[in-house]
Amino acid sequence: MEQLVEYLLVGARWALPVLAVWVLARCVWSMLRERYEPEVWAWLEASDGSRAALRHWECILGRSKRCDIPVARDDVQSTHAVFVRSDKGRWTLYDLSGGKTSSGIRTDTGEGMELRDGETVQFGGQTMTFHDLSEAERAAEEERRSVPGTLLSQGGTLLLLSIFQVLLTLELVQVLSGEAQTQTALGFAFLILLEWCCYLLMRAFDRSGYELETVAFFLCSLGLAVSASSTPEDMPKQIVLLVAGVALYLILGLWLRNLRRSKAFRWPIAGTAIVFLILNVALGVRTNGAVNWLDIGPFRLQPSEFVKLAYIYVGATSLDRLYRRRNLFLFIGFSAAIVGALALIGDFGAALIFFVTFLVISFMRSGSFATVFLAVAGAGLAGFLVLTVKPYVAQRFAAWGHVWADPYGAGWQQTRALSAAASGGLTGVGAGQGWLHKVFAADTDMVFCLVSEELGLIVALCAVLAVAALAVFAVRSAARGRSSFYVIAACSAASMLVTQLALNVFGSTDILPFTGVTFPFVSKGGSSLISCWGLLAFLKAADTRQNASFSVKLAARRRAGESGEDEVTSNK
Amino acid sequence: MKRIKTRAWAALILAAALLFGTGVYVWRFAVNGRYWVGFSANESVYQNGALAVGVVTDRNGVVLADVKDGARVYADGAETRIACLHAVGDAAGNIGTGALSAFSDRLSGYSLFSGASGKGGSVTLSIDAELNRCAWEALSGRSGAVLVSNYETGEVLCMVSSPSYDPNVGFDAEDPAYEGVYLNRALSAVYTPGSVFKLLTIAAAIERVDDLYTRTFFCDGSREVNGHILTCSGVHGSQTIEQALANSCNCAFAELSLELGAKTLEQYADKLGFTRQHSLSGVYTAIGSIYAGEEGSAELAWSGIGQAADVICPAALLRYVSAIAGDGVLREPSLVLGESGGRTRLLSADTAEKIKAMMNYNVVSSYGEWRFPGLTKLCAKTGTAEVGDGTSHAWFAGFLDDPERPYAFVVVIEHGGGGLSAASPVANQVLQKLVEENNK
Ligand SMILES: [Zn+2]
Repeated sequence: MEQLVEYLLVGARWALPVLAVWVLARCVWSMLRERYEPEVWAWLEASDGSRAALRHWECILGRSKRCDIPVARDDVQSTHAVFVRSDKGRWTLYDLSGGKTSSGIRTDTGEGMELRDGETVQFGGQTMTFHDLSEAERAAEEERRSVPGTLLSQGGTLLLLSIFQVLLTLELVQVLSGEAQTQTALGFAFLILLEWCCYLLMRAFDRSGYELETVAFFLCSLGLAVSASSTPEDMPKQIVLLVAGVALYLILGLWLRNLRRSKAFRWPIAGTAIVFLILNVALGVRTNGAVNWLDIGPFRLQPSEFVKLAYIYVGATSLDRLYRRRNLFLFIGFSAAIVGALALIGDFGAALIFFVTFLVISFMRSGSFATVFLAVAGAGLAGFLVLTVKPYVAQRFAAWGHVWADPYGAGWQQTRALSAAASGGLTGVGAGQGWLHKVFAADTDMVFCLVSEELGLIVALCAVLAVAALAVFAVRSAARGRSSFYVIAACSAASMLVTQLALNVFGSTDILPFTGVTFPFVSKGGSSLISCWGLLAFLKAADTRQNASFSVKLAARRRAGESGEDEVTSNK
Repeated sequence: MKRIKTRAWAALILAAALLFGTGVYVWRFAVNGRYWVGFSANESVYQNGALAVGVVTDRNGVVLADVKDGARVYADGAETRIACLHAVGDAAGNIGTGALSAFSDRLSGYSLFSGASGKGGSVTLSIDAELNRCAWEALSGRSGAVLVSNYETGEVLCMVSSPSYDPNVGFDAEDPAYEGVYLNRALSAVYTPGSVFKLLTIAAAIERVDDLYTRTFFCDGSREVNGHILTCSGVHGSQTIEQALANSCNCAFAELSLELGAKTLEQYADKLGFTRQHSLSGVYTAIGSIYAGEEGSAELAWSGIGQAADVICPAALLRYVSAIAGDGVLREPSLVLGESGGRTRLLSADTAEKIKAMMNYNVVSSYGEWRFPGLTKLCAKTGTAEVGDGTSHAWFAGFLDDPERPYAFVVVIEHGGGGLSAASPVANQVLQKLVEENNK
């Protein structure tokens, strides 16, 4: 028996990296190789009989070739009008031309004109007839689209992940003892249970896409392993937080299904976020220079983590509002308020994450590099001010690139992180057998190196690539996105995760200055874990592959909902 | 939507930046990982700042450093421990050029693939602990360094630095006798070379002075250069160049230095490696410096005879004499058994041949072969470097021009007096031991 366990452990050293690569490769393959076919929602017929498809829920008509429906006429403006489809299947036409669309759309109020099948609208001198898709056409359209999971079995990938987790548990249990041993084993058992429950739930709802969740659960199992080696006594807490994160993911995902409702709540959410930050500034607990904690009863919250969700939510917008200045100014004001509050709190890393996300959102909204450069210049000045005012931030910048010159001072954390990571080699010294976890903040700020030490560089790189894959997935989904709300939300959520990851990994490895942010899903810390699951919901909501996402209504059920008066929500 | 779709690439740019940065990290990991592991805070291989794994042995398998029950232990025998201290290093890492520090990556058992497994690795040094012990005895407490290598393979067979101490006992930090005890004088110190520097000047002269072999050098005991009086060790009268070198005549070499010029001397010092840093299996040497002064100045004349501001590292001199021995081509010295350094040509074969002949002539005609019984074909040069306080560093450097016994050596004794009287007996004692072992 002893012998068998030993063989298994030696095997696990090798099996873990192999399984990690395998799981990740399957997820990436499935996300990126699956067919993302265009959808057709309605047709526009010109007077000469040519037809143009409305392929999204929001389509722009204009002279510019980059419009969804280009109309090459001098009397049509470059961005002339927007067609918007509601969840209920009603189409509205908004004018952006300043009154050159006929049929009496009031342009000043921003209210649109409802379009009915067969209605004729005039754009400049061009007359076009609107054709909604008939029931039969819609059914044929959906029949044509393929369902994900046909390329690779999602359950198979999850099974591989479960084997990975079991081997990881085995390694940890060998090292730990007493209560920590039991709790770790129970923790992982619960994780496996949770991921299979989620999987079965998805299947029960006829949803076939499970790559995002698999990637997230892979990262969470690394997080649990980190927790087991650094603070095994916190295992039950970590599991509770994980459940809370998954719950938030499901709730937010379901909430985002309804575009109209989602949009309606943007500003109330923005207000709540600001209140959160004001409370933080006023009542925050000071830790390592930053006052980014808020104690509420027995819980210690990091408000900036939840503000991330609000920020993505508020930053995303649909096309009909995109071209209104007031909307953009409000968003810029909101961004400035958040970054300002974070500067006051002294959370430089979080401020940086928000700033990069701001750049992505404002670029996606305006498409203007000029705006982005202006923002960068402004932030550069602000950053300079922060550096001059906050000495501990300046100190970290000064150590950047020279950590080995001062391994007992400014380079304390990075040198230890690098040394431990190198000791791990490609396959690691074994889960729970490293020493980096004894160094302060190793399980949060330096978690990449901690994983690299204990599980090896290959697994650590898998974790990085997993997050990068999420970004690629978001961009691919964007191509078939229905509303710009979902596309902007998914891309900015992915950007936020990638930025956070980059600051974490590169900060601890001295490729960037050390900013002390968390590794998505892996770093220990409740607020961060929960908010990462929340961000994942934005990605899930943009997944328009046929029947892939629980956050997108099923085609058949949607049709049923559209025929009735009220919207049918997920009561199944 | 088309526009928004296109702009989604912004997120991909971030992902690309992430992958690029990760690539940079992986590259650094592969290249620098071995050094990162050697950080004394790395608990995988260090305990309380001391390397807790790894075995160091000499070329004959004599264990010089090991770990027993988590603690560092050294060789048996105080003499061996003391003689090998600088080659082996100390657990705390004070002797940076010692194996325990310099080869910590190998001792940690590091490999890119499995990292530092914790079991540790081993390093077999090229030195012979017995020979080191012999050299330590020969130094008999005087500060200085002894280096002996096999110039065919490049392996350093003996490397001793004095003062030294027994790592099992430690030393009294207050005692001035232990000043600079952590310094490996063979690799990390620079000294005024004195007359051994004439080996460099002669190389330049052979290649740049046309009538070198037909000229007569006259010495009346001193020479005036630019208003300064330059003294010689004796009154040598008329000499050939061979005799001038054997006499180590300052007048003759001052004349050559002034003729060659400052630029040429500095150029040769650089070309022959005296003003460069060298790596012995990854351990770096100290860099010497030559300041040859203005053309026609007394400084230039002094510089060409190894005085003035000239300083050289003993290891650089070992390289040079090895190159002369190897017909101009040097096998770079190494400290690890079986790891031969590369080959470097320092001199043309012709120049090397001529210097070799003169160095042998030194021994035969001037130093006396009787001093070195059995050491046939010894080629050497003495040095007595005045250091300004009335004392001199004693130097003796050279090699055996014998394919059976291809040994090069450098001995330097701080404030030791004359090169021939103080340093050459140390070299002789070590070489005798080496030859004796060779004959077994
Ligand atoms: Zn003379």
